[in-house]
Amino acid sequence: MLGAAQLFASENRTAGSDTTGAGIHFPPRVKRVIHLFMNGGPFQADLFDPKPALEKYAGQRPDGANLRTERPTGGLLPSTAKFQPAGQNGVPVSDLLPELARHVDDICVLRSLHADNPNHGPALMQMNNGTILPTRPSMGSWFLYGLGSENQNLPGYIVLCPGRPVRFSVLWTSAFLPASYQGTYVNHSDLKPGKLIPYLKNETQDLHTQRQQLDLMQRLNAMHLENHGRDQALEARMASLETAFRMQTEANEAFDLNQETAETRTAYGEGHYANGCLLARRLVERGVRFVQVYYGNGQPWDTHSKHNESVKNLCKDIDKPTAALLADLKQRGLLEDTLVIWGGEFGRTPTSENGDGRDHNHHGFTMWLAGGGVRGGMTYGETDEFGFRAVENKVHVHDLHATVLHLLGLDHQKLTFHYGGRDYRLTDVRGRVVSEILT
Amino acid sequence: MKWSLLVTAACSVLFGFSWQVRNTRAEAPAETQTPTVAETAPTAEEIEYFEKHIRPLLHQRCYSCHSAEATKVQGGLRLDSRAALLKGGDSGPAIATAESGDDAADASLLIEAIRYEGTSYDMPPDGKLPDAEIALLTAWVNRGAPFPVTEIAPLPTEANIDFDEGRRHWAFQPLAEPALPATIADPWSRGRIDAFILAKLQEHNLSPSPAADRATLIRRLSFNLIGLPPTPEEVEDFVRDDSPDAYDRLVERLLGSPQYGERWGRMWLDLARYSDVTESWLEATDNAHLYRDWVVKAFNDDLPYDQFVRRQLATDLMEETGLQDLPALGFLGLSPTYFKELLLPPEIIKVIVADEWEERVDAVTRTFLGLTVACARCHDHKFDPISHQDYHAIAGVMASTRMTDRPMIADEEYAPVAAAKAEVAKLTEQIAAKQKQKPVPVDEIACLQAEIDDLKAFTPQYDTPLANAVVDESLHVVLAGDNPQSGTKLEYRPEPQDLNLFIRGNPNRPGPVIPRGFLTVLSTGDSRPFRRGSGRLELADAIIDQAGHLAARVIVNRVWQMHFGRGLVDTPSNFGRLGSKPSHPELLEDLTARFVANGWSFKTLHREILRSATYAQSSAVDPAKEAIDPDNRWWWRMNRRRLEVEPWRDAMLAVAGTIDLSLGGKSEGAEDASNHRRTIYLTVHRREVSKLLQLHDFPDPNLHSSERVDTTTPLQGLYLLNSPLLIDVGRALAARLLRDFPNDPAARVREAYRLIFGRAATAAEVQVAIDYLAAAAPPNVEASAGTPDPSDPQVPAPVTSTAWERYSHALLASNEFLYID
Repeated sequence: MLGAAQLFASENRTAGSDTTGAGIHFPPRVKRVIHLFMNGGPFQADLFDPKPALEKYAGQRPDGANLRTERPTGGLLPSTAKFQPAGQNGVPVSDLLPELARHVDDICVLRSLHADNPNHGPALMQMNNGTILPTRPSMGSWFLYGLGSENQNLPGYIVLCPGRPVRFSVLWTSAFLPASYQGTYVNHSDLKPGKLIPYLKNETQDLHTQRQQLDLMQRLNAMHLENHGRDQALEARMASLETAFRMQTEANEAFDLNQETAETRTAYGEGHYANGCLLARRLVERGVRFVQVYYGNGQPWDTHSKHNESVKNLCKDIDKPTAALLADLKQRGLLEDTLVIWGGEFGRTPTSENGDGRDHNHHGFTMWLAGGGVRGGMTYGETDEFGFRAVENKVHVHDLHATVLHLLGLDHQKLTFHYGGRDYRLTDVRGRVVSEILT
Repeated sequence: MKWSLLVTAACSVLFGFSWQVRNTRAEAPAETQTPTVAETAPTAEEIEYFEKHIRPLLHQRCYSCHSAEATKVQGGLRLDSRAALLKGGDSGPAIATAESGDDAADASLLIEAIRYEGTSYDMPPDGKLPDAEIALLTAWVNRGAPFPVTEIAPLPTEANIDFDEGRRHWAFQPLAEPALPATIADPWSRGRIDAFILAKLQEHNLSPSPAADRATLIRRLSFNLIGLPPTPEEVEDFVRDDSPDAYDRLVERLLGSPQYGERWGRMWLDLARYSDVTESWLEATDNAHLYRDWVVKAFNDDLPYDQFVRRQLATDLMEETGLQDLPALGFLGLSPTYFKELLLPPEIIKVIVADEWEERVDAVTRTFLGLTVACARCHDHKFDPISHQDYHAIAGVMASTRMTDRPMIADEEYAPVAAAKAEVAKLTEQIAAKQKQKPVPVDEIACLQAEIDDLKAFTPQYDTPLANAVVDESLHVVLAGDNPQSGTKLEYRPEPQDLNLFIRGNPNRPGPVIPRGFLTVLSTGDSRPFRRGSGRLELADAIIDQAGHLAARVIVNRVWQMHFGRGLVDTPSNFGRLGSKPSHPELLEDLTARFVANGWSFKTLHREILRSATYAQSSAVDPAKEAIDPDNRWWWRMNRRRLEVEPWRDAMLAVAGTIDLSLGGKSEGAEDASNHRRTIYLTVHRREVSKLLQLHDFPDPNLHSSERVDTTTPLQGLYLLNSPLLIDVGRALAARLLRDFPNDPAARVREAYRLIFGRAATAAEVQVAIDYLAAAAPPNVEASAGTPDPSDPQVPAPVTSTAWERYSHALLASNEFLYID
């Protein structure tokens, strides 16, 4: 019952460096993950889950409307989106996402996600940390714990947000896992690399004098080591200083979008989200294990009023960059071993709130996956006639996590960490690998 | 009564049962026999129907979770024998019997679940079955659910805990009186500790290391007791002082220092998951520091540990303590709280509230008892003799305790303040209302404001601080209105409550009422249940009186851990069966017995440990001994230890001469390099831990934490190279050196070594410094000229630091400064 991970994991472990992981359980299909996080929660029937019945019964309240969400809602509110079959298999995609529709053969649409809580905070935590509690490690820290980092000159887990997502750092916490597995938050609203990673630049000297200073530090450390005998902890700290020094250059380079061709920049388009997508590609290309791109500050997809108007702009914002990211990854051969996850923390109600808004809905919503090991050009699962709740082939957030870990070569039941008397995992005591969507 | 578990945040013990192995008894226990209807063998026709239609269906749709083949049987329900169906799962029988003909299906939970009527227990969870399959199962149940007789083992019953057997676990045994080993006569032994340590060393063909030199010792002691380095003068005095009591005087001076409480209090704050900033949805809670300062003072005053425990759990219920102790309740009063959206129905809110209670049970039992009682929220503890009922007995105490701010003055003195505050609140509302009027009635608002100002100015003690505390009130999560959509109301009632057992940890599935009380395995006589108010004081008393032997072992082990870097039990908050056994059981017993006999005094315990030859050993590694005991489990040397972030930062400020040693008060910003207060006073923000703390292994303040984990990361390296803190202390230290030794660079270097490392620089080290300073480039004016944007990293920063500043910075960033021998 305890996997290889357990050998590595213990409450009293003194972690040396963070370069090694707990080890894979079976051959991985992907090495890295990009999570495009539509914070606030998009409405499923606007994008990939057409619900013609909303039109037919507009304004009415069918039985399913009594499902509990956060606030009272009124009658059914039709989506303004029109759907066209796309790709070889004719997967319906909304006309709000014309560019992305061209890549649907790489996309596996999961229409039947569901979660446990309709509030942003708990739902964000469930999507990131596996439970609605602020006390559990985030999935990215589990990835690093399981797999380690591929590039020693960059953090292995980077969270990009042009601003701050709600709940903030608890969403990338390592909780009781060693602190080296926590996410590194980067506010990329200002693209100057010096502002992106904390303490990346020394404001009082240049690299030449700093190299001299570092040589001095290492000389002193070497003399100290000589007097104290071999000591792994001391040596690890010396090595991490060198890594940090290199990171000053490498991170600059990794975060410098000016190094991209005009053609690429044009393909991704402009805006924070476009920049986030392009940065994500640059980072995974350099071996960063997990990159999350939050769409925006706060919770922009949280459309409690003027939903249809807002969603047009939101979709316009994500369509081109997301499509460009998939194309770019594919063209560079990266899509084969990269997983792209798209979605929010939950969906929205088919019924209206405040007349023209939509409330949170955790009973049924859409996410999609693309990349290595995932079957493209398909949909999986169904919501009911109106899109209130997932009814067929339901995929709980735990199942999503189990599947993502599986693709990374990790068995969600074996990736455990002993803490406070129990073995914890990302999927708590549940989770099923959705094998039907795997190649 | 449902068998799905959709919303519970069940605890995640992952050990499956090996049921088939354990339950191969030929006879099923009585309760698994068919309760009402005699089991009749199905006819051949029925068997054929079953095998053709029903078994494949059950197999395909249900058995991955509800049969012997399931990795983990969900909801305690199996569907692979008729007996199992009749026994059912946590929620009762899965099928009704066929006596009532066609009604059997309608009355069966199994059929209710597969009909998917929008309830929370719809099955299977990943989607409704096709109508044809539902019809098949319905017809089958109506025919009496005929099932071929099989050999499948019956369901196991919940393991009944044998508490007498459980009490035999070492940690639950009364304190033993071990015989003192003969090694007490060895000249190396300075006292009882050494005798026990030496005996084990000899057992493993090891011998102790020589004592550390005096300069090392005073550095070790200073960091260990007060979290600060000794000054060069203190080092020299101690090194020169050859009077026999020099060491004892040093220990006394450090134990008497107010910085002692800051150092040791912080250890306690890790356990107590202390946060300066509480959740935004709570009332005004900007006085968290009152709890922190209470803890610091308790250590400085050497408050006996039994009192320390009692006051933190229940000082408000104790006759012998006064209002000045009220902040002690911050242990519970600053517990994490989780957001509760009251528009949601009570079922969801109940789970969140239950999670909060669980967190408090977890923090209390791990901190004070070294037991993981929260593991028993969903079922009996898998390893320790802690029952599902035991969990609820303690959770009931938490469910009868409300977090609230309390004034530290008498009720009658506070009454006028409370009245004034209510009035101010009312007036403030009125102002807000008037501000919306058009035109804004400026004069009226001014009048109201003047009233407010008067109330604040003339109500005596209007600004008296409120402590984050608790009060005896029980929390009930109820429907806010009449209809199911009306959301949730949190009702606090003065009377305490006993909880219904949460079946599988789910508060929406109530079982029998469990009276508040203490853990069965640690209870003596018939002391349960708790009857006075919430039961907090009874819980505290039980921890100290009935479980005193365990509570004392746990805290003595924590003190050992703080002195040596690892406990005698190296799972300091888990003394259960999954925890480690003590490396030196006799020593732990012996120390603990004397700790209790000496009135639970921390300082007496420190003295004994610090006077031992064991503590005084050098940290140097002897390869021969290392080959025998690489982890130094038998303490053949002192462990070399890395400073935690607090003493590391404090020591930098101390040697730079800029540290602000003022005691207590509100916390201050952690990222502000100009804030020179000790690190314990930097703001700990539960939801947003500062970068300094986050990067340097500060524990998550949402959780009880029993030890610091050391990680080494490149981001720490960046902090070391580039952070304003390091640059500033380097600058301050350089200024101090230049001021004191304006004309002699070599003397400056020697002084730097005295200050920073508490030792003399070697000739080689002075030479390295001189060479570096000579080679370090002078300020590169040209490189910085005409820089368009200094924040652009492609553009090098102008070199504004001096070589001496960079040299000082390098010394502070060194391994020698971070690691203590």
